[in-house]
Amino acid sequence: MKQLRKERNRFIFLMLMPATILLVGLTLFPFIVSFILSFSDYSLLRPGQTKFIFLDNYIELMTTDEFWIALRVTLVFTILAVFIQVVLGVTFATLLHNENTNVSLLRTLYLLPLAITPIAATFTFRLMFNPSLGVLNYFMKLLGLEPQAWLASPNTALFSLILVDTWQWTPFILLICLGGLASLPNEPFEAAKVDGASSWQIFTKITIPMLYPFIGLALLFRSIDAFKTFDIIYVLTSGGPGILTRTLNLYAFKHGIEYLSMGYAGSIAIVMLIITIVVAQIFLRKNKLLQPKDTLK
Amino acid sequence: MKKKTFNHLPPIKQLNLTRRHFVKASSALAGAGLLSSYGLPLYAASNVDDMMKMYQSANIDWQSQKGSSIVLSGLEHPWMSSIEPLIPHFKKLTGIDVQVQKQSESEYVAEVPVKLGAGNPTPDVYMVWSYGQAANAGWLESLDQHFDNPNLFDKNWYDLNDIFDSAKSFPIWNDGESYVMSITAEAQTMFANQNMLDAAGVGVPTTFDELLSSGKKLKSGDVSGVAMRSKADGTAGSWPGGGFVFSNGGVIIQDGVCMLDSPEAIEAIHYYGTILKEAGPLGVGNYHWYECLNDYMQEVCAIGMDSSNFAGDIENPEKSNAAGHTTYGAMVSGPGKTAKPNMWHWMSGINSKSQNKAAAFLFLTWANSKPTCLMSSALGLATTRTSAWESEGFKSAFGAQAATAALENLQNADGKIMKDCWFHPQSGEILTPFGIAINEVVTGTKSAEKAMTQATAKINKAIGA
Amino acid sequence: MKVFFRRLALYAFALWSFFPLYWLLNTSFKTSKDALARPPTFIFKPIMKNYIEVIQNNEVWGYFLDSLIVAFGTTLFGLLIGVPAAYVLARFKFRGSADYGFWILSTRMTPPIAMLIPFFIMYLKLGILDTHIGIIIAHVGLNLSIIVWLMRGFYEEIPMEIEEASYVDGSSFFQTFYKIAVPLSMPGISAVGIITFLFSWNEFLFALVLGDSVVRTSPVGLYGFVGYQKIYWGQLSASASLLLIPVLFFVFLFQKPLIKGLTLGSFK
Repeated sequence: MKQLRKERNRFIFLMLMPATILLVGLTLFPFIVSFILSFSDYSLLRPGQTKFIFLDNYIELMTTDEFWIALRVTLVFTILAVFIQVVLGVTFATLLHNENTNVSLLRTLYLLPLAITPIAATFTFRLMFNPSLGVLNYFMKLLGLEPQAWLASPNTALFSLILVDTWQWTPFILLICLGGLASLPNEPFEAAKVDGASSWQIFTKITIPMLYPFIGLALLFRSIDAFKTFDIIYVLTSGGPGILTRTLNLYAFKHGIEYLSMGYAGSIAIVMLIITIVVAQIFLRKNKLLQPKDTLK
Repeated sequence: MKKKTFNHLPPIKQLNLTRRHFVKASSALAGAGLLSSYGLPLYAASNVDDMMKMYQSANIDWQSQKGSSIVLSGLEHPWMSSIEPLIPHFKKLTGIDVQVQKQSESEYVAEVPVKLGAGNPTPDVYMVWSYGQAANAGWLESLDQHFDNPNLFDKNWYDLNDIFDSAKSFPIWNDGESYVMSITAEAQTMFANQNMLDAAGVGVPTTFDELLSSGKKLKSGDVSGVAMRSKADGTAGSWPGGGFVFSNGGVIIQDGVCMLDSPEAIEAIHYYGTILKEAGPLGVGNYHWYECLNDYMQEVCAIGMDSSNFAGDIENPEKSNAAGHTTYGAMVSGPGKTAKPNMWHWMSGINSKSQNKAAAFLFLTWANSKPTCLMSSALGLATTRTSAWESEGFKSAFGAQAATAALENLQNADGKIMKDCWFHPQSGEILTPFGIAINEVVTGTKSAEKAMTQATAKINKAIGA
Repeated sequence: MKVFFRRLALYAFALWSFFPLYWLLNTSFKTSKDALARPPTFIFKPIMKNYIEVIQNNEVWGYFLDSLIVAFGTTLFGLLIGVPAAYVLARFKFRGSADYGFWILSTRMTPPIAMLIPFFIMYLKLGILDTHIGIIIAHVGLNLSIIVWLMRGFYEEIPMEIEEASYVDGSSFFQTFYKIAVPLSMPGISAVGIITFLFSWNEFLFALVLGDSVVRTSPVGLYGFVGYQKIYWGQLSASASLLLIPVLFFVFLFQKPLIKGLTLGSFK
């Protein structure tokens, strides 16, 4: 048995080693650098004159209302976008899974948003959202509705961004759920049909619970990524109108790359990291996803 | 190294015409004004020798850096587009190899600080979008010593008098040295669709009030009267809005203090916002260059007020429905004030960590020399030289009336008040709140007074005033 | 009836997914004036000029090739490194396994801005700037968290009996892994493979900062069509449309295991 123990541990070690080496090598140095820098006033404008200012960056961050506005915008965006995307992703994955004609075609179409080069898609949306020349307002007028300012109006800007993000990332959730659905065993479904359950009952009482780990993972990853959304906001609104769509990541970018205050940007990044870690920990513990349920001996 | 091919110039401008092509091409080129004052097609390889003469008359040892190689980095820009086809000439003249790296502006502005901030020796020559940033961060080589080097530079041949005054004063940093060279010249210019003006019975506006009233008359149904940049960032409304502030007797930064809460500045931005709210298109708050230019070229907007460089596209019938009937005008002025349009010289500098500084300097002075400017201006590039602006090639490429209007605006511009803001080391922290404030006024979220006062407080805190 | 509504919903969603792409395709056949015309034109005289320009542009072929190498490399190495780690985390309890798993997740949490300059400096010193392998390494690193966690999720759903039986039969851990566990998890591997491939194909920021002239992937290259004060719509839309063809082809290849029917039921 001791031999087995040793062999088991060696196996675990070997299987984990490549991933560990890669991630440590790649992420440790940048993390340490950013962490240390966040306690300094490092600016690319005065590289030789960096001094440690300890918590000053963080204090300044917590006392500017720009930070709190950015935090609120980021949270609203993340929560709304991810919620919509998960609902759509799970729904359409299930519908597609139960469909039997043209499945390949549909699946390919659903993956398109993930397959298009993001910059082309984003600029296409910028064109479609254009209030005077874009096709969206053209349709609005055709339908007899008021043309909207979309990205330019305080009322519709965030919503428009969520729309674009949803278009782009729902396929991600859909794909994970499809994979999950394909690996579920058939028997529970067949048994339920034999018992006369309706589709809705099957969906809510069997599909969702069995798919739960995958939905949980999809939700987790999508949330982590949505929290950091940058490209679409930068191209479409630059954080505007005013600062109504300026998320934390954009805020950090402004200070880091535009103002070259890398120390301050580092502190914003660390705060974002802390928020993400805390929320992820809570989520994982509540859903018992941190450790596998059963394991081999 | 990948060769960067260049695709959007008409094919005539490739450097491998034979003598037979030369004869055929001359007549076509003559019609297009693309013959130099020597009557030769500017790019025909067969005439490289004649062109070489224009350079060899300089008292410079062009071949002193032969065999070296430099990296030129820039954004997608008319300067890069005009200089790139001429680079083989430079190679022949100097024996220096030039690798060109071109990126979109957003990409460039994000990537180059990372490279320079990490102390990379390349690029050797690069376009400088924020002089304040680059100079303060120590990313630029001082050029004065190179200007004084008789082996590398010939003052007489270069003819400094030919260069615009503002172009010469722009590069002078607050320590008296120059770390860049101006490479283009542009000024805030009005462009108005003459057909639409005639149909509405209005003339070309000359004051803020006229712009507002004409704009309102021109706005009808789906067509807007005036469109100007207002997106909520430092690159959108700040420049045109700055011109409004200047033309109302105000300034942005004075002696290191932000003055955007002065009555003149507030009034100017109030006008800017009102004009756009009442005469502007739906959603103008999100307008940047693309949107402004596109609306104008599609004739869904009657008047625009932006960089003179837009003339190139506006007059291109393949892209613009407004080609041929656009009137270019002077900057409008505030009530009882004189117009002071905003202006800009793009600049290029040498990386302080470059290992090929002499070669880089030769390249820069070659690019800005009289003969090169003659050729690049024939492609429509707005150079910094009077001789180039007055040449037939430039006038036909850029548009004669556009050139006259732009020149007038350039001459009325006040370089100093522009520099005080745009060359401030923390220009980003000034322009971004300013741009956001303009956006807030245009979308009606805040009054001009509130927006400007709050922005000024924020800016002064950031720049330590 | 049920089937009708299901189909209606599915096709509506397909239309939603496809429309922006349709618009992009539309634009690629238009002159720049038409592309921005009002009202937007659905019927117009199509031109092939944009496609011809793009196909003749060696640089665009370069972007395609670079993206292909990087995306393939990332998927391959990502799966090779990530799937074993996922298996172990799913099947074995050991001290620190929860923390280790969370640490892997946390590598995805840092906003890129904090990593740009340190990454650049690291790569500069190691001499792997502007190399394919350099970007592949970065992409694998960025995506390993999702590969590991997703595959772990798939493994947790697969009952252990078959593997236990194989151990009883005397197979080693490693043999059980690649003879039984891996084949059983093909739907998961396929889903994760597609996600990784697409992610790497479309990743912009690190490809920008860590690549340059030798390695210029398509997102970086296509951004070059976004010019100063104007967008080269013709070339942007034509290249983006053409680039879809290889992507969809590879996704199609990876998709086979996702088909319903390859469930565990068939292994009993």
